[in-house]
Amino acid sequence: MIFQPVKMLLVERDFEREYGKLQQLEEQTRKLQKDLKKSTDADLAMSKSAVKIPLDLLSNPLCEQDQDLLSMVTALDTAMKRMDAFNQEKVNQIQKTVIEPLKNFGSVFPSLNMAVKRREQALQDYRRLQAKVEKYEEKEKTGPVLAKLHQAREELRPVRENLEAKNRQLLEEMPRFYSSRLDYFQPSFESLIRAQVVYYSEMHKIFGDLTQQLDQPGHSDEQRERENEAKLSELRALSIVADD
Amino acid sequence: IAQYHIPKKQLKAETQWLIWSFSASFRGKPNLLDMGSLMIKPIQRVMKYPLLLCELRNSTPPSHPDYRALDDAFAAVKDINVNINELKRRKDLVLKYKKNDEDESLKDKLSKLNIHSISKKSKRVTNHLKILTRGESQVKDNTFNREEKLFRALEKTVRLCVKNISLCLQHIQDAMPLALQSVMDLQEISYNKDDEMGYSETLSNALNSCHDFASHLQRLILTPLSALLTLFPGPHKLIQKRYDKLLDCNSYLQRSAGEESDLAKKEYEALNAQLVEELQAFNQAARKILLNCLCSFITLLRDLMLVAQQAYSTLVPVPLSVSSISEIQNQVLEEVQNLNCVKENSATFIERKLSFEKKKPVQILPEMPRQTDIHRSKLLSTYSAEELYQAKRKCNATQEYDINLLEGELVAVIEQKDPLGSTSRWLVDTGNVKGYVYSSFLKPYNPAKMQKVDTENRFCDDDFENIKVDEQIFYAVHAFQARSDHELSLQEYQRVHILRFCDLSGNKEWWLAEAQGQKGYVPANYLGKMTYA
Repeated sequence: MIFQPVKMLLVERDFEREYGKLQQLEEQTRKLQKDLKKSTDADLAMSKSAVKIPLDLLSNPLCEQDQDLLSMVTALDTAMKRMDAFNQEKVNQIQKTVIEPLKNFGSVFPSLNMAVKRREQALQDYRRLQAKVEKYEEKEKTGPVLAKLHQAREELRPVRENLEAKNRQLLEEMPRFYSSRLDYFQPSFESLIRAQVVYYSEMHKIFGDLTQQLDQPGHSDEQRERENEAKLSELRALSIVADD
Repeated sequence: IAQYHIPKKQLKAETQWLIWSFSASFRGKPNLLDMGSLMIKPIQRVMKYPLLLCELRNSTPPSHPDYRALDDAFAAVKDINVNINELKRRKDLVLKYKKNDEDESLKDKLSKLNIHSISKKSKRVTNHLKILTRGESQVKDNTFNREEKLFRALEKTVRLCVKNISLCLQHIQDAMPLALQSVMDLQEISYNKDDEMGYSETLSNALNSCHDFASHLQRLILTPLSALLTLFPGPHKLIQKRYDKLLDCNSYLQRSAGEESDLAKKEYEALNAQLVEELQAFNQAARKILLNCLCSFITLLRDLMLVAQQAYSTLVPVPLSVSSISEIQNQVLEEVQNLNCVKENSATFIERKLSFEKKKPVQILPEMPRQTDIHRSKLLSTYSAEELYQAKRKCNATQEYDINLLEGELVAVIEQKDPLGSTSRWLVDTGNVKGYVYSSFLKPYNPAKMQKVDTENRFCDDDFENIKVDEQIFYAVHAFQARSDHELSLQEYQRVHILRFCDLSGNKEWWLAEAQGQKGYVPANYLGKMTYA
């Protein structure tokens, strides 16, 4: 009887540790699901606003008369629409291979939590009955007391066995559950990375091609910046602008 | 050299001393000038030359070889002066009109109101209306109109660009960090901590690139475009003023030429000429700036995409083929779900236990004899053509007094309602038995046409999709508690509207229901059919 409490303590410690890891995992999967949803929504908002840029320009009469501007804006329009399409596809891929699996994995936790709760109940029952037994053990060993003690021990035995069975089951299965996450989520991770790489390499190609098409492929950004400054000064010098 | 009029107390002591020592060294020199005199020197010089050359020319006989050169020089120098005057006049004109609107308070405006200004303004309004309504003879300048249109279009374009590009930038700045963070978080649960991944570096690099993109975009695109935008209002005012002068001019067109009309015409033409010339320059420069900014935008995006691609590429482990992802995951999930602790405590398990206890007894209907030719001819003879209908599909009896019909069977409608008044259930006669069927299952019988089996009207037994709205109302026999977002909670006897009679994987035990604006799946055996719509 002396060793049992120590064993119990060890079991409790292991149990807390394993269950703690799983609780943290549950929290992580839940948060990740929400964050991915937010992320994909933000991605879609971005491509929608990108599409708007050339779209608004095309509806402007400016483009009608200006051939160069028109061809540039049309090319930009095509590029943005493709960006939107690829983005949507990327989001769908992420939905299917990452967000859905996260949800499915998460749906296991309620059952686990229920099992833990039941084990907790069993533990409480055990402790209650154990206390009762100890109470009778400490009393004077009279006839009725001995009878009650025997009865209490009989009551305790199945409860203890139940508890031990639950402990065994959970202590064996919780680590297995925990380690299963690796095999489960690695494919999702790979899929997420791949979706992003594919998307960005396509985008790089699209915008790279677009820069080739532009009027002055040779000009660098610095050159353009300088030219803009020069033009702005020119404008400010005009009398009709009357810059103070 | 010169004395500065800067208040001495603004200068540092050192500078003050320097200035004093400089000016001290010059004191006493004869040609000491102050700043004002110094600055006027070039102007005096410019004005001196025409006079000088004129004198020189006049005193040269025309036969002298230099005469020609002198003449040309004189003309050129005169031109310079005229140009300077013109430029000055234009600047003054602009300043005059610019000051008008900016510095005025209501009091100032009121004080300017006098008979003259009121009559001027009212004349203009009249003329404006005349132009709008009658299209009278008026002074027109097509070049100006064209440039003005271009000017306005450019302004609108630049404004839209600033707005849209800013918004896009905002979204990019929101989206990219979120995506990167999610990747990091997913990596954390996919791998053990001890596996050396070192990805935090990638994360911070990518985030830095995102910041760089934002600052480049700001500098190369948004700042110039915004600056350009501030330059548009100035010319606007002048354009408006020109229009006023135009109206004045028009009002004099009809009347005889006089001093007033000449003045109006001169003012208008001066302003018009100035605007035409300078608007062209403005438009060209503005267009160039716009094009440059668009180019920069595209190159910035290209570079950003490359950085992102590279960042994510460093994270790629051994690639898997797409198809095996779901296989692997399903297998793992199955293993997990087979764990005893999970299996015994799963909600479906408990649910199934309950549903077994609550299963309703299956009604076994007596075998009904099918319609024969005798029955049909009896119907045809007894009832008129309008009363005859044909079953579009197989009808299963579900309530008391209902009858079964096979597809194509003939019935005569006795009553187009049922005992409780619902018009969707009709009392019919098959020639054999009488009973109720749902009216949507019947179509008018047309013996003249060969009733071919229309594949569109063909329904299979379990395909409920085209039933009328009436037949989709069910009620909950027992209360049901939803356990996830996909399911719908029901109260006992709550009415629901069924949207689909199976779930996404074809399982007919779960139906998609709608109630009080919410949708979700409910167990089929919890539902009973409503007898009345």
